[in-house]
Amino acid sequence: MPRLSDSMEEGTVLGWMKAVGDEVAVGDELVEIETDKANMVYESDVAGTLVEILAEEGATLPIGEVIARVGEAGEAPAAGGNGGRPDAAPETEPEPEPAAPAVDEAEASEPAPAPTPPAREPGERIKASPLARRIAAERNVDLAALRGSGPGGRIIKADVEDAGAQPAPETAEPEPAAAAPPATAERPETARGAVEEVELTRLQQTVARRMAESKATAPHFYLTTEIDMSRAVEARARIKAAAGEGDVVPSFNDMVVKACAIALREFPRANGAYRDGRVEEYSRVNIGIAVAAQDALVVPTVFDADAKGLRQIAVESRRVAERVREGTITPPELSGGTFTVSNLGMFGVTSFSAVINPPQAGILAVGSIEEVPVVRDGAIVPGQRMTVNLACDHRILYGADGARFLARVRDLLEEPVFLAL
Amino acid sequence: MAAMRMREALNAALREEMERDESVVLMGEDIAVFEGAFKVTQGLMDQFGERRVRDTPISENTIVGTGVGAAMAGLRPVVELMTVNFSLLAFDQIINHAAAIPYMFNGQVRVPLVIRMPGGGGHQLGPTHSHSFEAMFLQIPGLLVACPSTAADGKGLLKAAIRDDNPVIFVEHETLYGIRGEVPDDPDHIVDFGSAAVRREGGDVTIIGILKMAHEAERAAETLASEHGIEAEVIDPRTLRPLDLDTILESVRKTNRVVIVEEGWPHGGVGANLAALIQEQAFDHLDAPIQRVTGADVPMPYSKRLEQSAIPHPEHVVSAVLETMIGAKPRA
Repeated sequence: MPRLSDSMEEGTVLGWMKAVGDEVAVGDELVEIETDKANMVYESDVAGTLVEILAEEGATLPIGEVIARVGEAGEAPAAGGNGGRPDAAPETEPEPEPAAPAVDEAEASEPAPAPTPPAREPGERIKASPLARRIAAERNVDLAALRGSGPGGRIIKADVEDAGAQPAPETAEPEPAAAAPPATAERPETARGAVEEVELTRLQQTVARRMAESKATAPHFYLTTEIDMSRAVEARARIKAAAGEGDVVPSFNDMVVKACAIALREFPRANGAYRDGRVEEYSRVNIGIAVAAQDALVVPTVFDADAKGLRQIAVESRRVAERVREGTITPPELSGGTFTVSNLGMFGVTSFSAVINPPQAGILAVGSIEEVPVVRDGAIVPGQRMTVNLACDHRILYGADGARFLARVRDLLEEPVFLAL
Repeated sequence: MAAMRMREALNAALREEMERDESVVLMGEDIAVFEGAFKVTQGLMDQFGERRVRDTPISENTIVGTGVGAAMAGLRPVVELMTVNFSLLAFDQIINHAAAIPYMFNGQVRVPLVIRMPGGGGHQLGPTHSHSFEAMFLQIPGLLVACPSTAADGKGLLKAAIRDDNPVIFVEHETLYGIRGEVPDDPDHIVDFGSAAVRREGGDVTIIGILKMAHEAERAAETLASEHGIEAEVIDPRTLRPLDLDTILESVRKTNRVVIVEEGWPHGGVGANLAALIQEQAFDHLDAPIQRVTGADVPMPYSKRLEQSAIPHPEHVVSAVLETMIGAKPRA
């Protein structure tokens, strides 16, 4: 199973484009794989004959697992199962092994792998032993949340017991007198009304896992400032007026992205990550832009935003947002971000704080531009103000560093001419 | 109690039942003067005479047919077929007659016949003398099937078979004729059909073995305990029909894992049948697929090495158990 994205831990085989016995050339489309972020076609990096497919369509495997074998050109496909035919004819070396396949003892006695959240397709059947299913039902354990340590990832009794769930109340045995609810899949109406359970998509599972992981492991603190956007509003109006037919007019968010890019180049800590007990600082400034998609949140990347002009940023951010909505975004376009900008201003949200997209150092939450009375030179005048909130991972970005970075972003937006430098 | 070999225990059962009931008669090839190919009928002709211990021509269908007729007429014949493979020549009498007659006549006629037959591999007797056909006989309604693995069970089951009014297929494993064990002296020592023996208690996995494989299962259990810290419960069903499924299910509910060991072939075998019954009755207690360890899916080879590799050994049982234990936690 190839690694097709940064955060990919496992992938699901959606479809094989080659069959066993087919010749495969380097670059041939071999298999379509669903990662935590997108569906990708994996192109073969070897040439030969596809001799064996080990991961059937629908199979979910961790990175590094063998999904197929490509042998020498012209090699015969691997022999299939016996299928109930008699064993080898006398002239061949007879198979001495009876029905039971030998198992490596070391393998059998290996400790169960550490439980990590499983990733399954919505509606994908959960492999669990009958006993595990029964115990899970008795204890109200959600099998979908468990990773199986049995063969092929089957959830077995030990996994359910390790889940440490509460034992079912003693009333599990319905007493004849009590009108116990029937023990069927039909969920009774609760105080919250009828319950409709919606399975998460893989993408939603990823969002859920990464956001919870971020809040649980990255010590967030928040810095808020108000930015005088009057000159930016003015500048954008001039750009718009001067724009020709079909020219893309940068949005305020594009300006924020550009301002952040410049500031990130100057504050390497903000353009870094805390990872495994050390700090990483990145040479490229790649800004992720949070884009709401159908029932999901996707963060496509504008690469090298510090080196790109405002118009190019505008063109690229529109293109990737479009691809997110179409569902054609690819993992490379979703990875490699070093900082994230999230903007809810278009909904009239004046300010909010965001959850850091791990392992990045910070995320800038951008509110709407509000027309407000401001005091300038002792007089109250109409002003254009935008509140931004910087969430920082305190393990890498400290208060003063974050404040200096944020001040720089503010200065750049208040004098937007500097965005052109 | 007396220590004796399986062949002596079987001999004692025949002798005691013949002393007890003069309607018990023996027929078979070379059982009288020659005292049996495996000496199970040693001394019986001398004691009971040629009328009750009869040598027959080499004609298995006739041997069984004569037994069926004699049983219908009121005797309790015990017929011997020199190996299970020769029983195939008598299938018409065994299946169409012995098994069916009590049903065809609504129980007005009984067939209290015992058909003894030694089987199993390990002695280089080739594919026409070494097979294990328990599963074939198990399939036939009307026949009881006994598979003793110890001397005491050999005696107790054979006495029970002779006293039973149903036709009984009594399978003896050639390798077990020399096995020694303590055997009760009690002339009424009976092992009831349909009562399994728990040979070893354990909580981690249930191993079911018949005939010689009951012993291999016990050896595997010793290895599992000493080398892998796995406590296996070993069950010998002793009779396949009737089957003591209760004892098996009780064990499965405790261990949640099952390995079935037999010398016969895998397809439609004793293990296949047991696995079906267990999953029907104890599905919610299984934590791993039921494993089977069987003889190889080939006619029994003659070559010593090939024959040995076609027969299950304790290491195969250990492997199968470890397979079912993947991911399982040792019990506290």
